[in-house]
Amino acid sequence: MKQKNIWKQIRKYLPFYIMALPAVVYFFINNYIPMGGLILAFEKYTVKGGIFGSKKVGFDNFKFLFKSSDAWIMTRNTLLYNLVFIILGTVLAIVVAYLLHELKSNMSRKVYQTLILFPSLLSIIIVSYLVNAILAGDTGYINMHILKPMGLEPIAFYSEKKWWPFFLTFVHLWQITGTNCILYLANMSAIDPGLYEAASLDGAGRWHCFTKITIPCLIPTIITLTILAVGKIFNSDFGLFYQVPLNSGAIVDVTQTIDTYVYRGLMNTANMGMSAAACFYQSVVGFALVLITNALVKKLSKENAMF
Amino acid sequence: MKKKFLSLLLSTVMAGTILAGCGSDEGVTSDSTPAATNAATESGAGESESKEIEKITMYLPTSGKTDDIATVLEKVNEITTEKIGVELDIKTYEMGQWFQQYSLFLSGTEDVDVLVNYGGYLNAVSQGAAYDLTDLLPEYGQDIIAAEGEFLKGGQVEGVQYAIPIYASYAWNMGIIYRKDVVEELGLQDMVANVKTLEDWGEVLAAVKEAKPDMTPFVTNNGNQAANFNYGTWDTLGNVYGVLMDGGKTKDVVDLFETDEYAGLCNVMHSWYVNGYTNKDIQTQTDSFTALTKNDAAFSTLGQTDFNTPFYQSTTCQKDIDVVMLGDPVSRTYNNVTYTVMSNSEHPEAAVKFLNLWFTDPELGTLIKYGIEGVHYQLDENGMGCYLEGQNPSSCTYHLGSAINNTNAIRWTGENPDYSELLLESNNNSPKSVALGFSFNTENVTNEITQLDNVCSKYQIGLECGALDPETDLPKFIDELKSAGLDTVIAEKQAQLDAFLAQ
Repeated sequence: MKQKNIWKQIRKYLPFYIMALPAVVYFFINNYIPMGGLILAFEKYTVKGGIFGSKKVGFDNFKFLFKSSDAWIMTRNTLLYNLVFIILGTVLAIVVAYLLHELKSNMSRKVYQTLILFPSLLSIIIVSYLVNAILAGDTGYINMHILKPMGLEPIAFYSEKKWWPFFLTFVHLWQITGTNCILYLANMSAIDPGLYEAASLDGAGRWHCFTKITIPCLIPTIITLTILAVGKIFNSDFGLFYQVPLNSGAIVDVTQTIDTYVYRGLMNTANMGMSAAACFYQSVVGFALVLITNALVKKLSKENAMF
Repeated sequence: MKKKFLSLLLSTVMAGTILAGCGSDEGVTSDSTPAATNAATESGAGESESKEIEKITMYLPTSGKTDDIATVLEKVNEITTEKIGVELDIKTYEMGQWFQQYSLFLSGTEDVDVLVNYGGYLNAVSQGAAYDLTDLLPEYGQDIIAAEGEFLKGGQVEGVQYAIPIYASYAWNMGIIYRKDVVEELGLQDMVANVKTLEDWGEVLAAVKEAKPDMTPFVTNNGNQAANFNYGTWDTLGNVYGVLMDGGKTKDVVDLFETDEYAGLCNVMHSWYVNGYTNKDIQTQTDSFTALTKNDAAFSTLGQTDFNTPFYQSTTCQKDIDVVMLGDPVSRTYNNVTYTVMSNSEHPEAAVKFLNLWFTDPELGTLIKYGIEGVHYQLDENGMGCYLEGQNPSSCTYHLGSAINNTNAIRWTGENPDYSELLLESNNNSPKSVALGFSFNTENVTNEITQLDNVCSKYQIGLECGALDPETDLPKFIDELKSAGLDTVIAEKQAQLDAFLAQ
């Protein structure tokens, strides 16, 4: 009896399974099969031994990540930058999406949206030179056209640590807000206008509508996106932290993240095992964090948890 | 209706792309099939003569043109199949792309037999990607052994021959590379003639700065991509962690960064930085000396110099260039460019046979380097190679420029006509570092080197280009290197060097 039911269900949804098949196959080939390569993290890879036959070395490959005196600095930077990016990024994306949503003219909404989206289409190399054009010591906009006419000493931005947490956060938010707000904007359009009408009849102002209707309707999206972002909290945008500061050594203390450390350390040695170990570490910690965040959400409000 | 039309359109487009995908795939296979069948029939025919054609593939980086490589390879294979029974395929990569892909090639996933290694072959060895050529070379590479002599040691690790160094200039030293025409224009010849050390050069820079405000007196050779003292007077023994001072006259491995010489050089650079002889952005500048000089934006730099540097730099920069060497040329640990055979190659003998022929056969050397005479180049009245009339570097369809032996090809216009003789003389007569042929096996100190590389990325560029004050930052640099395990690496290096010298 039960068996029959399952068959019935499968038959009922068969077209959907077929629709999903290409994606499932894609994920299996592209995302699951390569996981076998994680074994590289535990061996000293040689061409002759290949992926599965090389010498096993246990956790030796992981040592370089933790032995270094920089281990604390790079972990701190990676985590703090990502935390700031997640919090500010979400707030900014919602605010911008709301502002766009409130625009009555379709035309101007499209213009603004395109303008905000544009930075995310730029390659990070181009961004790094835009930043350089503003900050450069001899020819930069700030030093040449602002500080000099005011009779102030030029600032060597690329050698002073204190500026960079601000710059990097600014560049990152400038780049991603456009893409981030699209999802929120779509969600806002889906909110039943009747809710707003009813609220305004009851005398609610804009601020009340925003906090009591818009935000609660967005909560599931915010939670999903935040959980996904937390899963990548040990990864960093390599281009942002390596290219934008133009690999300047003097500010490494505030620009070093796990990714840049791995790149700087392994660029010359091309050690497959150690690179795999670094990725393994980032993914495992990220995965654990996703589970923890989801469990927390489940505890606070069950219906909003992802799984 | 509209929707239906849209979906129809979409599916047509998708089907189209799929077909196109198949099409291009087919293109590739059909391209290679004739060659394969050719080889098959040839080898089939050859079997009666008991000689089989072996196919090998070589990967090369190049900044030259390779559009017409198929025609050149046909000619190459005429020679190689006849002389050694080997058929060659060459796959080329843009320089920049090469350095990104190189570690991938080493991982052994590509169908490649011969690889060229820039910046040493030790990674290839430590990953087990380099074939042990110790027995093959005496059998199939006698000419290489005869020509390279002692320099062949530059491809060994602990007595095992893993790589074949290209025959190029071994003897060099740190030197100042400068615009000769500017010096003459400003009448500074006497001043330049008196320059013995880097510090002396400051006087010249001061004069240039005053006379040519638009020209930066001193820039780094490769922007901030490489350290300014990358090519020093010391022998780096493979990496900069533990060196032999004075080009390897002594056997003591010392910490370069603690030497007075290093501190002195950093002080000079810092004073230049403060005096404005260098750009304030020198730390983040990515333009090379060559690029800047072409545009009259730079006057001098530091770099690796030998007998041919003035000639070479004058051609690449398209300006009149001369050098001041800061010491006599010395032959160092090993050459930067080497050829290795992949350890998973199915035809290692054929690969060595080919490298040997390429090393010695002038016809083959010229063919691979410059293409076919009358099609890709011509000889002028002095017997120097040049582009065909009406052609230039961008319209010529083949100009690879790669070689395994720099004396084994025609000379190109602008090159030193006596290059081959001068090269032999320089290599044979220059003093040699005691560590010539030594290579450092980093296997036991990988963790330390990862950390050291990271410490260097923080300080080295800044100190060596003068942006950081050695007074405060050099001691910090030294301390951090120590805590990253520099002493362990130096001890390991010394032990390996002692073992090498005892052999």
